[in-house]
Parts: sequence; structure tokens; C-alpha cells
Amino acid sequence: MVLVCASVVGRANNPLYFRSFLPGGDAEILKFQYIVHCALDAVEEKVTAPQRRSGAAVESYLGLLYPTEDYRVYGYISNTRIKLMLIVDDHMARDEEMRQVFKKFHQAYVDAASNPFYTANTPLTSKRFDSTVTAMLTPRT
Amino acid sequence: MERPRRTCAETCLELLSLQIVHYYAGQNQAPLAASTEAIGFRVGRQLAERCTWDRPRLVDQLDVMKFICKEFWIELFQKQVDNLRTNHRGTFVLKDANFRWLSKLSSDLPAPEKADATEQNAGPVANDSMPSRPAANEAAQDYLHLPCAIIRGALTHLGLPCTVSADASALPACDFTINIRAG
Repeated sequence: MVLVCASVVGRANNPLYFRSFLPGGDAEILKFQYIVHCALDAVEEKVTAPQRRSGAAVESYLGLLYPTEDYRVYGYISNTRIKLMLIVDDHMARDEEMRQVFKKFHQAYVDAASNPFYTANTPLTSKRFDSTVTAMLTPRT
Repeated sequence: MERPRRTCAETCLELLSLQIVHYYAGQNQAPLAASTEAIGFRVGRQLAERCTWDRPRLVDQLDVMKFICKEFWIELFQKQVDNLRTNHRGTFVLKDANFRWLSKLSSDLPAPEKADATEQNAGPVANDSMPSRPAANEAAQDYLHLPCAIIRGALTHLGLPCTVSADASALPACDFTINIRAG
């Protein structure tokens, strides 16, 4: 399973972080940003739709949001309405694996947001966050 | 891969919050309330982010308030809120019977304009402590800006913009009143 793009979107759907790891250049990046933008609608749907079914805990992992012909977009929303999105290019991505990756991604985000010099709702510029996410995106051998 | 939790002595936190109040009270540029509010708001936001990391989603107002009363309060004050009341129209009152951050504040302050206090020293305690309640609350308000702001920051970041006020007339108990702004 190869992750090709990671993105963090704030509560007002403002982009906070975007990182793609594909040597495609600007055209690829634009395409991924467009995919992420479209996937936001799917997030809204999933978040507002489910009424409480008896016993089911509403969870943060939103699952597959939006399949395109080459890529699949997975989403995750935190309690503070921050949306994390990952684009993968493998058709056999397992839910369990995605959950693990999102947990790590969320943990990295929380660490970056806890920086006292970070102003909320502004783009994330932490180098440590960047390197953690890049390590996540680098295909494992 | 579990990260080891780092711990810190509670005394450090108490002393730090006392010193924050002392420092900003002595500054001329900004009033104490505004400065400590700003600090608390930011801390509340970041704590809310951290405390909700691995928890199931909080779907409605009541869920968020229950989270505040239980997990969040335990993180901050090492205990749960003792009583939660609501009028179901956006006002909540959280009652903490033994508020740790004010535990070192004396609940027996003399009232400010009591001229014959010295003669009544031997008098019954009940007589003496009644007029000192408002005085204790006054003194405590300086120290309550920080916890109120932390709660406000957390609630705002969880999607509930609100105002928080505290009432410490019955030390060591403290009541926090939260008014959630509609819309």
C-alpha cells in the first residue's frame, strides 16, 4: 500500500497542511489538491448523516471517502473538527492498516499543534511534523 | 508503540499558576484578567486537542460537557466534577466540591471593613465566617481567570463557543457557570 498524499484541513475547511510524495511535479500536486477538496464534501456527508445507532460508538475514522480511477481517499476527523486525509494508490488497502496510520498521523498533528508558538488555524510549518509525515509517506521496503 | 507519559509534581503547577497571577498583577501594560485569559485560552485549546486524541467522537453538547466533567477535569484537576446541572437551554453549572487549584487559598479571610474584629476574636466562628465569604470570592477571582479560560478554550475548540465564570463563595468548593452561545 503506497500513500501518495497527506493533508490536514481545519474546521472551516481551510487547508493547514499538504504534502505529496510523488515525483510528478506541479500537475500532480494540483490534481491531489483537487481530489482532497472534493473529498471534503464526502466528509461533511459522513459527519452529519449518521444518527446514533444503538450501541455503536461514533468513531473518528471515516473510511473510504472518494474513489477515483487511480486513487482512493481515506478520511479521519478529530473531535476538534480537524480533518486528516490520506490518498493511497493501492486498491487493497485494509481498514485496520489505515486506522493505524491515521492514529500516528493524528498523534503527529497533536504534537505539532501543542507547540506554544503555533497559532491555531494557520498552516503548519513544523519541521518535525513534516519529517514524521514524510516518513509515513515513504514506501516501506 | 506506546509513548511513556511524562509526569510533573502538582506543586509545580500550583506554584506556576500562583506566580502567573502575581506576575501579571504587577505588570502595567495589560490587566491581569486579559493576560491570564489569553494564556488559559491557548492552553485549553491545545489540551482539548491532546485529550481527545484517541477517544470516540463527541457528537452533541451533552457528550462534550460529559467529557469536560470527567476526562478533562481529571487531566487538569485530578478528580471529576462532582455535580453537573443544566437548564437544557445552553447553561451548565459544574460544581467541584474541592477545587484543587484553590486548595491553598484560605477560606477564612476577614471582611475588609470590620472595625471591631479584634474584640470579636473570641466570638463564635459562624459569626465571623459569614461576612468573609464575599471577600474570599473576591480574592479567589484573580486565581480563577486561568482555569476559566482553560475551560473556555477547550470548549471553543470542541465546537461550543461559550463564556465561563466561576464562583468561589464556598471555598474549597467552586462553581463554574458555562453559558453556551447559540448559533
